[in-house]
Amino acid sequence: MRKYLSAPAPEPEPGPVATKRSFRTGPASSAGQRFLAALLALLAPLPAHAAEPRFEERAAALGIVHVYDGGWEHFVGGGVASFDCDGDGLPELYAAGGANPAALLRNTSDADGLSFAEATPDALALTGVTGAYPLDVDSDGHTDLAVLRVGENRLLKGGPDCAFEPMDFDGGDRWTTAFSATWEAGAAWPTLAFGNYVDRDDPDGPFEACDANALHRPEGDGYGPPLPLEPGHCALSMLFTDWGRRGRADLRVSNDRHYYVRGGEEQMWAMETVPRPYTRAEGWRFHALWGMGIASRDIDGDGVPEIYLTSMGDQRMQTLEDGATGPTYADAPYETGTTAHRPYTGGDGRPSTGWHAAFGDVDNDGRDDLFVAKGNVEQMPGNAAADPNNLLMQGPDGRFGEAGAAAGLASMARGRGAALVDLDLDGRLDIVVVNRRAPMEIFRNVTNGAGNWLLLSVAQPAPNVDAVGAFVEVETPAGLQTREIAVGGGHAGGSAGWHHVGLGAADAARVRVIWPDGTASDWRTVEANARVTIARK
Amino acid sequence: MRFTKLMAAAALGTGLLASAAHADGHGGTVVGVSWSNFQEERWKTDEAAIKGALEAAGATYISADAQSSASKQLSDVESLIAQGADALIILAQDAQAIGPAVQAAADEGIPVVGYDRLIEDERAFYLTFDNVEVGRMQARAVLAAQPTGNYVMIKGSPTDPNADFLRGGQQEVLQDAIDAGDITIVGEAYTDGWLPANAQRNMEQILTAQDNEIDAVVASNDGTAGGVVAALTAQGMEGIPVSGQDGDHAALNRVAKGTQTVSVWKDARELGKAAGQIAVTLAKGVPASAIYGANEWTSPGGTTMNAIFLSPSPVTQKNLSSVVDAGWIEQEKLCQGVETGVAPCS
Repeated sequence: MRKYLSAPAPEPEPGPVATKRSFRTGPASSAGQRFLAALLALLAPLPAHAAEPRFEERAAALGIVHVYDGGWEHFVGGGVASFDCDGDGLPELYAAGGANPAALLRNTSDADGLSFAEATPDALALTGVTGAYPLDVDSDGHTDLAVLRVGENRLLKGGPDCAFEPMDFDGGDRWTTAFSATWEAGAAWPTLAFGNYVDRDDPDGPFEACDANALHRPEGDGYGPPLPLEPGHCALSMLFTDWGRRGRADLRVSNDRHYYVRGGEEQMWAMETVPRPYTRAEGWRFHALWGMGIASRDIDGDGVPEIYLTSMGDQRMQTLEDGATGPTYADAPYETGTTAHRPYTGGDGRPSTGWHAAFGDVDNDGRDDLFVAKGNVEQMPGNAAADPNNLLMQGPDGRFGEAGAAAGLASMARGRGAALVDLDLDGRLDIVVVNRRAPMEIFRNVTNGAGNWLLLSVAQPAPNVDAVGAFVEVETPAGLQTREIAVGGGHAGGSAGWHHVGLGAADAARVRVIWPDGTASDWRTVEANARVTIARK
Repeated sequence: MRFTKLMAAAALGTGLLASAAHADGHGGTVVGVSWSNFQEERWKTDEAAIKGALEAAGATYISADAQSSASKQLSDVESLIAQGADALIILAQDAQAIGPAVQAAADEGIPVVGYDRLIEDERAFYLTFDNVEVGRMQARAVLAAQPTGNYVMIKGSPTDPNADFLRGGQQEVLQDAIDAGDITIVGEAYTDGWLPANAQRNMEQILTAQDNEIDAVVASNDGTAGGVVAALTAQGMEGIPVSGQDGDHAALNRVAKGTQTVSVWKDARELGKAAGQIAVTLAKGVPASAIYGANEWTSPGGTTMNAIFLSPSPVTQKNLSSVVDAGWIEQEKLCQGVETGVAPCS
């Protein structure tokens, strides 16, 4: 048995059973009314005063001018990775540039405010980059990077002081636009999935010419040739997720129907010895969208993650059906307020285009909110040209309301990748947006009267030192918050490092971790407004 | 595609109409219209025509605007049903996501007219213009003007099923001339997003590849025709036959100038009027198969449904006055910069 570094839990009794809010409509019609009734029944008393979320754009003042640009192959992509590579706890930013070189912004923030220094090592100064995801591939305690490109992908081994060097890896020559990683049972190294978009070599393309995706499973201390995941349906986001809390992460893939045109759909790969897509007989339903990004978080309090899929027009929040025996997902009804289907300001009435999405509690009221980066692909006439980003604040009734304009996030630039991350470790989530053909934006969270918070670091001995695949549980009198530690999703970029949790009025919380092997740590009580490491011995 | 005429249907319908009217619970028929995005200007014309038809039939119009949200549309349809709609006209935002709305209507025994966009469900009635016929009309007009030589096919968006309907109709008309060796299709391209700029780029590439040896262009709508004419003009080749569709004002002006041969026009007032009449008839209990003019039609996806395809009108220099007479375009706008003596510009 492994021992835990953290102190044993002082409170042995089990936590209260969380109440589940249902997004789903019932099996019969008049579901909308029933859903509303269910919401009303769950209405909690409003807090005395809710903080109004506020952000200030800082990149322009800091002189940061980084643009994601390039031709058709860079209409998509533009991801950003956030991770600490110099050991000070502050997350650096590595932003894709497309035809421009990708850039590493070292985070030099202090009590005086946000600041960054551009210091891109040669190994990272790549062109053709669509995005990047941080993860510790070799479990040496230094975060590595999976860099997605038009052309050869790279695995870059991180070292001290943000040094990077290429790892031995067959990066192929495809147009890669999605990535996810998981440690399969017993594996010392992660399994890597690369999502490829259109096959540029297909003479009959680009329509109905989706490329195969590539799965790299570890072989010894490294990787052999990839296994093709076919059929591919023009993936723009992938996420290994233990969707039903069954002890195995399967691969959710969000696909762009603009290019598969017909015959494609969203996918969930069962990660068996030979991976295969889940079937209708197993409960997987047909969903077709212009899939651009995936966010995941348990929103309804049942411990199982909801999935949020960005697209054109409706963005789709989906929840696992009650009693489902397979991955059977249903869309949250319109009344949930998560569709963000057209601009809420600026007067352009055409459907909007969503890219990166992330859940996070931006006002620390104990409820996860949602950020969606928006922007026209290039000049699609059927979609909004002036397309502001969304900040959807979750209310006490579980419904989401738009706050992007008042919060200062309604940028009309062509948003692509983003990060919802605490850049200055003040307990408030900041927002980074990489824009196509416009400078990236860094929005500092300056919300007054935000609630209490935790920044959690979760660690276990090698392999998989960042405990990818673990579930973190945080309990306050308001209920239980659950989050899966994952690498993947979003649009072409991810975050590693502190896990931010809003606590509302609670000045302490009980925390435990369900480690990737299913073992649960003891509960541990921690004080609010602090950085806490939960480490497994 | 299969069209089967049900000849006896109309007579049968009349008999059912009277008995079903007695079963109607409220004062009058209520027709609910679910729009996909009413901010799009063109639907205002359709709405006025639907309202006119309903008024003439003594029916009440209620509506909802989905604002481009497929899930709002589901909510809207539930709301229209709750407000007492006896029949629904649905302009689907996303044909792939509208299924639950048709189900909700079917659960309440409420008929659904799929308006302009296909709702692939055997319980829905499909009303649209005949897009295959649009394609035929485009090819016919170009072929009449240029019976021989090298043809280019500038197709619509590959993501829009109508693009292939159009292309199918074009091929029907051109096939004999192709088989006889009179014409040769030397270039063919989809137009991503129906965007004129993309059509122009594709046309430029084809002109380069063919050393400008092009005699006619079958373009699938007026936007793409505009891109084609721009590419031709850059090579001093404007005036060769080019087709289009939609009756765009700029395209009608090109027809008057002679740089575009035809614009196939779909009069939205006809579509709206027919939708109102069909909805009222269905609301009174007349089966869809008994609607006058309805055909049994099998979709490309294999769904057999009742459908009416209205006939569009090819607008050429010969009948340009018709669009002015219909109030579609002002004479001044149509004739701007026109030097030829074509009516009504002469």
